[in-house]
Amino acid sequence: MWWLNQAVGLVVKIFLLPFTGLNPWAGMIFISLVTAILMLFIYKKTSNQHGIKEAKNLIKGYLLEIRLFQNDFGVFLGGLKRLFAANLRYLANNLKPLLVMIAPIFLLLAQMNLWFGYQVPQRGETLLLKVEFNQSVEVDRLDLEVEAPPGVIVDSPPVRIIDENEVDWRLKIVDLQGGQLVIKNGGEKYAKDISLPLTRLARLSTIRVSQNIWEQLLNPGEKPLPREAEIKKIEVVYPSARLNLFGLKIHWLVAYFVLSIIFGFGLKGWFKVEI
Amino acid sequence: MAKEKEDSSLSRRRFLELILSTSAGLAFFPKTGFLTTKGRHQTARKVLVLGLDGLDPVLTAELMKDNRLPNFKKLAAAGSFLPLGSSVPPQSPVAWANFITGTDPGGHAIFDFVHRDPKNYMPIFSASESLPGKHEIKLGDLILPLSGGKINNLRRGRAFWQILEDYDIPATVFKIPSNYPPVESRQKTFSGMGTPDLKGYYGLFNFYTNEYKTITEEYGGGGRVHDVFVIGNRVESRIPGPNNPFKKGNPETFVDFKVFIDPVHPVAKIAYQDQEFILKEKEWSGWKKIKFDFIPGQGVSGICLFYLKEVRPKFKLYVSPINIDPADPALPLSTPDSYSRELAKKFGPFFTKGLPADTAALENEVLDENEFLAQDELVYKESVAILEAELKNFESGLLFYYFSNTDQRQHMFYRFLDKDHPAYEEKLAAEFSPVIPRTYEEMDKVLQMCLEKIDSQTTVIVMSDHGFNPFRWGFNLNTWLLQNGYHYLLPGTRPEEVTLFEQTDWSRTKAYGVGLNALYLNLKGRESQGIVQPIEREILTRQLANQLEQLADPRTGEKVILKAYISREVYHGPFVDLAPDIILGFNRNYRISWNSPLGNFPRQLIEDNGQKWSGDHMSSPAVIPGSLISNLPVKLADPALQDVTAGILSLFGIKIPPEVTGRPIF
Repeated sequence: MWWLNQAVGLVVKIFLLPFTGLNPWAGMIFISLVTAILMLFIYKKTSNQHGIKEAKNLIKGYLLEIRLFQNDFGVFLGGLKRLFAANLRYLANNLKPLLVMIAPIFLLLAQMNLWFGYQVPQRGETLLLKVEFNQSVEVDRLDLEVEAPPGVIVDSPPVRIIDENEVDWRLKIVDLQGGQLVIKNGGEKYAKDISLPLTRLARLSTIRVSQNIWEQLLNPGEKPLPREAEIKKIEVVYPSARLNLFGLKIHWLVAYFVLSIIFGFGLKGWFKVEI
Repeated sequence: MAKEKEDSSLSRRRFLELILSTSAGLAFFPKTGFLTTKGRHQTARKVLVLGLDGLDPVLTAELMKDNRLPNFKKLAAAGSFLPLGSSVPPQSPVAWANFITGTDPGGHAIFDFVHRDPKNYMPIFSASESLPGKHEIKLGDLILPLSGGKINNLRRGRAFWQILEDYDIPATVFKIPSNYPPVESRQKTFSGMGTPDLKGYYGLFNFYTNEYKTITEEYGGGGRVHDVFVIGNRVESRIPGPNNPFKKGNPETFVDFKVFIDPVHPVAKIAYQDQEFILKEKEWSGWKKIKFDFIPGQGVSGICLFYLKEVRPKFKLYVSPINIDPADPALPLSTPDSYSRELAKKFGPFFTKGLPADTAALENEVLDENEFLAQDELVYKESVAILEAELKNFESGLLFYYFSNTDQRQHMFYRFLDKDHPAYEEKLAAEFSPVIPRTYEEMDKVLQMCLEKIDSQTTVIVMSDHGFNPFRWGFNLNTWLLQNGYHYLLPGTRPEEVTLFEQTDWSRTKAYGVGLNALYLNLKGRESQGIVQPIEREILTRQLANQLEQLADPRTGEKVILKAYISREVYHGPFVDLAPDIILGFNRNYRISWNSPLGNFPRQLIEDNGQKWSGDHMSSPAVIPGSLISNLPVKLADPALQDVTAGILSLFGIKIPPEVTGRPIF
């Protein structure tokens, strides 16, 4: 799984690297445009374009039928039934491209979350470090220590939450250098990235997870923890980011979907794609 | 799960419900749109006014003499330093309203912190009123308001910045009291004293503990104790929010939270909504956002501070009153609306509640003196940071900037300057007697910053609304009226058990006291059950005033009331008829008691004030004038608050409008 996440991550990084110094909207617009073009291409190649066109024509025809014969209840009901069937046919024609696209889209969204989901904390801000252990571990008996990179200090004693198998610390950012946190559990050591880049758009990995595939898909920022580790998850809780649109705070996912749809519909004529 | 303690008094609860029920509609106050400014007149002269609430001229003079206020001294040497005549009574909302309008209470209709409703004799807040929306649809338990509610600023008369606006002179007015909600203006204004917390109170903190503790939910504020249990190093409770205007009966909203305590270390994690943070024992959290949902998609957000007072052996967590979030205000805070958001964007969250420091928490020993000072220091730092930015933007016109620290700290720490105060504690005095002088020195530093940033064209005025004096003894006005045959209770009533005039026999009662300095006649035609004929009014008023002025404290031989002001003689303007009949001007060291203002009848006529709230300013204005220091010589020998207003208008060459009764000080 890790190699796949790394490969997708590299592609996204190549796309977004020129935009790191710019307003995050620039990177968002670009990646929405690129993925819209890519999706149009996949859609064109994997969908039954003729079938989609036919289904859409049928839908238009039945809509007209309903409109024209709204005073004739029998024809009206028949029209509704046929409209429903045509819609099903349209959806069926979309199923194949949807199935083809769902996996890359999912991988892409997980990577985009690393770039657009969180913001770099300011100097003087505090962050929460959460370490979750396996069920069998008694967290109050552990001999734990956290080593922080330069510019980050461990600002509190650990808070051991026994019934949630979790130990938390407060980190304070004194300088934006970043590096790796090292969690020492007896003789074992586990690292966690703590990125504090100065660029306006930056990739921030919040969670390092176990070998669980689903967790890895959702959190592709770092290599998973070793299989034998007692730690299940290490998380640095960065402040969440929003895209600013004239004072309106927008979640990146909303912006991405709206932009992709706009680009998709705007470019479908150029690519001669029937959607 | 927390279980709230019962309030100490049902009547008090009922009173609070009565006055606060309208806060339920707070989500629906219509916002005024951004008011575009016309081309602004660039004034050659600039006026900077620092409003330092309660800055006492006697103490200021002493500290200046000791060279502890070098910048005050410098300013005074360039112009004038004089006592500034305060209002009758010298309460902050009244006094600042005098300054705002350039008139006395007869012209602005703010006579006391508390007025009364003549229909039912119940106390009501004088500064503002909240009215719920008029139209709504009810669907079972769900209420869908069809129109927005309304908050009215009850101060009458035009504000000086509105007059300046007529002449296109720009003004920024930051946190001036008696301006909530801020009156409509194109000037930049931010509301001050009188601005409620998100619940509609003047400040209601929450205290979570497994130690037995009682706190009085007081007169529009105070606090609530929540009993909690520490089970498996975990505490679960809820933070009460505003009443839900979408639900039948407007029930209170809540946000659940959890505290996870480390089994060994004095540290805990607090988690609610999307917030998670760690606090060490004796640590403040900084501002945290909190959102109260009414129905999906509708809610209000606020900001609060957490303070982990103790982890073991007892668990003690303080949560400050929920302030209105300046970044997303649920109630009007500024003109234009965007000013509040601009400040929040630049400085992050900051105190928006009218009187920011939590005096009730100190009074109830939820916070100790050092913890209270730590909180008030945060108020000070926020104020200085915003002032610094405003000074940078101050290119023309007027900048008024208000500091509350002088007032709040003198109220709570005066007991350490007065060895004869009933609440004086020698041990604590050794540590805390320097607090008030140090606060004055902090104000001197503020002035230094201002003097460094202004140009030679700027007139600087440092002013206060009143001075301060010890509050050693409390006078029970209603007990006095009862003892002297002006007030009657129903037969069989034990006076000390009465609250809010519940057992008053209005058919025999001639006078009653509501508020901090006010005495009303039970006047026929004005009060709903009035018995005093208008023809008797003059004689009865004079009789009461004379008797009150003769009243001496048997323990000290001193007069309790230096002057009983007859309102129709001291007030001028269109609202004199709304005023109390007599305003009590207390002698030094005296004030109204804690219980009398709410229609109670304690046994003793004069009580020791053993509370931490130990300094006050309910006296005759002659006892506690404010301070006026300016770099321009003041031409009047006895300036008063409204004269400063006239002086500012004259500095800008504006003809003094007829409703402004003050005389120009320059």
